[in-house]
Amino acid sequence: MLNQSSKECFKSPLNWIFSIACVMSLTAATPAVSADTITLGFVVRDWFTSVFNSKFLDECPEGLSVANDEIWWRGLSKEERAKATENGLIQSLARQFITPRRGPNGEHVCHDPTSVIDPPMKVVEGKYSYGANLDGDTDGSRTPKTCSHVNFTHPDDGTPGIDNQMYRLLGCIYGWRRGGLPEANAHEGRGTSGLGMILIEVSGVTDPRNSDDVIVTFYRSIDQFALDGSGRPLPYSSYNIDMKDGKPRYNDSLKGAIKDGVLTTARGDVRLPFYGNYNFMHPIIRDMGLRLEIAPDGARANGMITGYYNMDEFLYYNGGMTGHVSGGDNCPSMYVAAHELADGYPDPDTGQCTHLSSAFEIGTYAAFIIHPDEEVKSANR
Amino acid sequence: MKVSFLPLAMILVLTSCGNSEPEITGAPPDMRRLTDGQYVNAITDIFGPQIKAESHADPLVRTDGLFAIGARSARITPSGFDRYYYQARTIAQRVVSPENRTMMFPCEPRDASAADDRCARLYFTKIGRLLYRRPLTAAEVQTPIDAASEAAKVGGDFYRGIAVGIAGMLTTTKFLFIIDSTEPDPDLTGNVRLTSFSKASRLSFLLWNTTPDEPLLAAAETGELHTKEGLKRQVDRMMASPRLDTGVRAFFKDFLEFEQFETLEKDSIIYPAFTIQVAEDAKEQVLRTIIDHLVVRNQDYRALFTTRQTFITGALARIYRVPTRRPADGAWIPFEFSENDPRAGILTQVGFAALSSHPGRSSPTLRGKAIREHILCQRVPDPPGDVDFSLFEDPNSPNKTARERLTAHRTAPACAGCHKITDPIGLALENLDGIGQLRTTENGEFIDASGDLDGTVFTDAAGLGRAVSTNPATTSCVTQRLASYALGRSIGPEDRELLRYLEAGFADDGYRVPELLRRIANSEALFAISVPTTDNATVLSNADGTVQEKVQERQL
Repeated sequence: MLNQSSKECFKSPLNWIFSIACVMSLTAATPAVSADTITLGFVVRDWFTSVFNSKFLDECPEGLSVANDEIWWRGLSKEERAKATENGLIQSLARQFITPRRGPNGEHVCHDPTSVIDPPMKVVEGKYSYGANLDGDTDGSRTPKTCSHVNFTHPDDGTPGIDNQMYRLLGCIYGWRRGGLPEANAHEGRGTSGLGMILIEVSGVTDPRNSDDVIVTFYRSIDQFALDGSGRPLPYSSYNIDMKDGKPRYNDSLKGAIKDGVLTTARGDVRLPFYGNYNFMHPIIRDMGLRLEIAPDGARANGMITGYYNMDEFLYYNGGMTGHVSGGDNCPSMYVAAHELADGYPDPDTGQCTHLSSAFEIGTYAAFIIHPDEEVKSANR
Repeated sequence: MKVSFLPLAMILVLTSCGNSEPEITGAPPDMRRLTDGQYVNAITDIFGPQIKAESHADPLVRTDGLFAIGARSARITPSGFDRYYYQARTIAQRVVSPENRTMMFPCEPRDASAADDRCARLYFTKIGRLLYRRPLTAAEVQTPIDAASEAAKVGGDFYRGIAVGIAGMLTTTKFLFIIDSTEPDPDLTGNVRLTSFSKASRLSFLLWNTTPDEPLLAAAETGELHTKEGLKRQVDRMMASPRLDTGVRAFFKDFLEFEQFETLEKDSIIYPAFTIQVAEDAKEQVLRTIIDHLVVRNQDYRALFTTRQTFITGALARIYRVPTRRPADGAWIPFEFSENDPRAGILTQVGFAALSSHPGRSSPTLRGKAIREHILCQRVPDPPGDVDFSLFEDPNSPNKTARERLTAHRTAPACAGCHKITDPIGLALENLDGIGQLRTTENGEFIDASGDLDGTVFTDAAGLGRAVSTNPATTSCVTQRLASYALGRSIGPEDRELLRYLEAGFADDGYRVPELLRRIANSEALFAISVPTTDNATVLSNADGTVQEKVQERQL
C-alpha cells in the first residue's frame, strides 16, 4: 500500500520522469511535512576535511610542518638512535609506538601534549580556502561567539569571510593535505566496516529539483555499504536507522531548501557519527550547515558540511593515531596551534575558543532510509 | 438471480461432459537420462537431506523447446561417466560415514572390519528398490553384495565395502536413466503396457521431479496404479505434497530456458549493480513468483503476465529502486508493485529483462524472440549469416533509441520479416535497460514503448503483459509444453485431440496449472505405450549395455 504522496508520483509522465525520487519517497519519512511531498535519502560515503592545496604550496611559504618522528630523532644522540632502533633495524613506520613517549618522564606526547614544549608548527598562511562564512563577518574580529581570526577568500568564486581554521591548522601537515594517509585510511575503514555511516533524509520535498521548505535529518545507519564488484557503493540500497530505546540514536534536523537541484540548509547544532583510524566519535558540529548538489538523475549528491568542530574532540581523534608517521604531525605543536587558532565558542570563564571553524567535503549516494519503527510501505503487500 | 445462473451452469456441465480424454497411441518404450535436478533430488530423497549431491552431467540437447525431450536421446560420454563415478564415490562415502550410517542401515554387521553378506543383502535390497525405482532381481542384488564383500575383504572394513556397492549402483543405467519397462497388457491381447513401477516413475518425475517415494512404490507393488481410483489416490496425495513446488519449478526452469542464467554476464562498467547475487536472485524471483502465483495461491496462469505480486531481496531492491527492510540472511520479502508502476508480470522482472539482453544493452529483438518462442511457442527463424548490423551498432548513428536503430536496420528485406514479429513486442520493454532497471530515456531521447501483439495494441510494458495474457497462444503454449514435458517427447499432429482435450480442461479449470498437471497425471496418455519396434529395442540394448560395461570395468 502506498501513501498518497507516492501515488501522486506516477500520475503523469512528468512525474514518471522523476520516478527515482518518487520511488525513494516510499521510504517512510519521520517528519511528514505534507501529504503531497516526497522524501529523498542519501548515504554519506566520502568525508574529507576540506583543504585547499595550491599548485606550488603557496599557502605554506616556509614548507611543511615538522612531524613527531623527526623531533624525536633530532633529540637523540647517535648512540641513543642506534639503541632505540636496534642499529637502524626499526624503521620509522615500526617505531611509531616508541617515538611519542618522549615526555620528560616517558609521557606519551599525544596523550599528554603539554608534557613537552616543541617548536611551533607551521600553519596555513595563504589567502584562499573552501568553507563558509560562519560568523557572518568578513574581518574576523572577536565577537561574543567567536575569537579573533583571519578570514579566507573562496578560491573559486572569491567570496570573502570564509572561516576555516581547521584548514589553517592542518593545511601544512603533509598527512592532512589532500590525499594524505589519515584521511585515506579513515575513508577506507568506513567503507569496509560500515561504522560511522551517516544517513541524510530530506523530507517535505515537493519537487526534487526545487523545494522551498524541506527538513534535513541526520541518522546513523546500522547497515554496511552495499558495494558493486569494484567496491563502489550502489545507489538505491536500503539502510536501516540505528535505534536506541525506540528512537533514532542520531536524529538532528535542519531546515532547508532545494533550488535548481542544490540543497542548502539553515545552520544548527548537529550530532553526527564518526569513525576513522580506529576511533569512534560523536561530534556535535555547532552551527552546522549542509550544501548538497544533487545530480540530475538523483543517484548521487556531493557537497560540503561546514560548521564549528569541537577542538578537544579533534585533538583526541588526532592524538588517537598515536603520532603515526603517516600523519606527519606533532601532537604537542598541534595542541598549541589549535588553541591559538580556535575561533568559535569561547569558554565563558577563560575566553579561550573551544571550536575550530571547519569544512568537510562529502560524497553521497541515493539511499532508502528505513525507519525500523515504521512500515516499509512499498515492500509489503 | 438464481435463474440467471442456471443456463451458465448447464453450459458448464455440458462442456465438461463433452471433454473426455481421447485415445492416443503412445510412443515406444524409451529411456531418459536423469536431468541434473532429478539426480540431485533423487540422491537427497533416497539418502536424506544430509547427503548433498551435485551433478555436472553431459549437457542435454534442448529439443522442441525442452530438455525433458532431449533427455530421451542423451548418452553418457567417457568424461561424463568419470564425473558420475566421482560423484557416486563421494556420495557413497558420505552415506557410510559414521555420522550418517546409523540413519540408513537396517542392520549392523557382525564384525565391522569384515564382509557381512547378510547385512549387505538387507541394505542393498532396501536401497536398490529406491535407486532403481523398482524391486531388484536376485542378480541385481547379488552384484553389489559381491562388490562390497570383495572390497570389505581387501580394505578390512564392512562399510567401505558397502560404499563400493553403492557407488556401483549409482553409476548403472538403471539409476541414471528412467527406463520404460513394459509387460503384456491383460486388457488388450497383443499389446503392452507400462509396468506399474514405470508408471510410478513417470508420475514422480512429472509431479515432484524426483524418484518415487515409498508409498508410491508400494502402490505400484500392489497394482494400485493400474486402476483409475488407485492412480487418482496417488495423484491427489502427490499434488497435496509440498514437493509439488519442486516439480512445477523444474518444468518452468525447462520451459523458460533458465539454464541460460548459468552463463549470464553483464558489463560491470555499464551495470555495476548487476552482481552474481543479482543474477541468482533474479532467476529465483521469477520462479518464486510462479510458484506463489500458480501453486500457493492457485491463480490463473494468464495472470502471471500481469501480476504485481512478487518477492524481492536486498540485491534486487537496488535494481527495482525500492526500499527493503533489513532482511535475515537470504530472506525473501513479499513485494507488490503499485498500480501505477510500469512493472507488471514476470516479463518485467529483472530475470526476464536481463536474460533477454546483451551484456551491455537491452535487446528488443531478443526479448521479442524470447516471448514468441518461450511464452507463445512460436518459432522465430535464426538471422541470416551475412546480416549487416552496421546500421544498428554504429556509435555515431543519429538514431538514439533502439526503436530508431531497429527501424533503420529493418530496411534490409532479409531482416524485416523476423524483426516484424519480434520488435513490436520487444520494444514495449525498452523502459527496462539491459538489467531491468527502469528508464524513461535512451541517449536523451524519450522511449516510446508502444506496440502490438498480433493486433492487440498497447503503450507500455504492462500493456504488453495484458496482451500476452489474453493471447490464445499463451495458454495453448504452456499446455503443449507441459504435455510434451510429461510425455517426454515432442507433440505431433497425432496428438491434436489430446491437446484439445487438455486445453479445454485447462480453460474449464480457470487456467490453473496444478489442475492441468492433475489432468495429465490422471490421463491414460501419460502412460500410453506402443509395442516396441526392433530398432527401438536395439537402441535400448546398446545404450544400456555400453554403460553397463563401463560400470563393471570401474567396479573391478
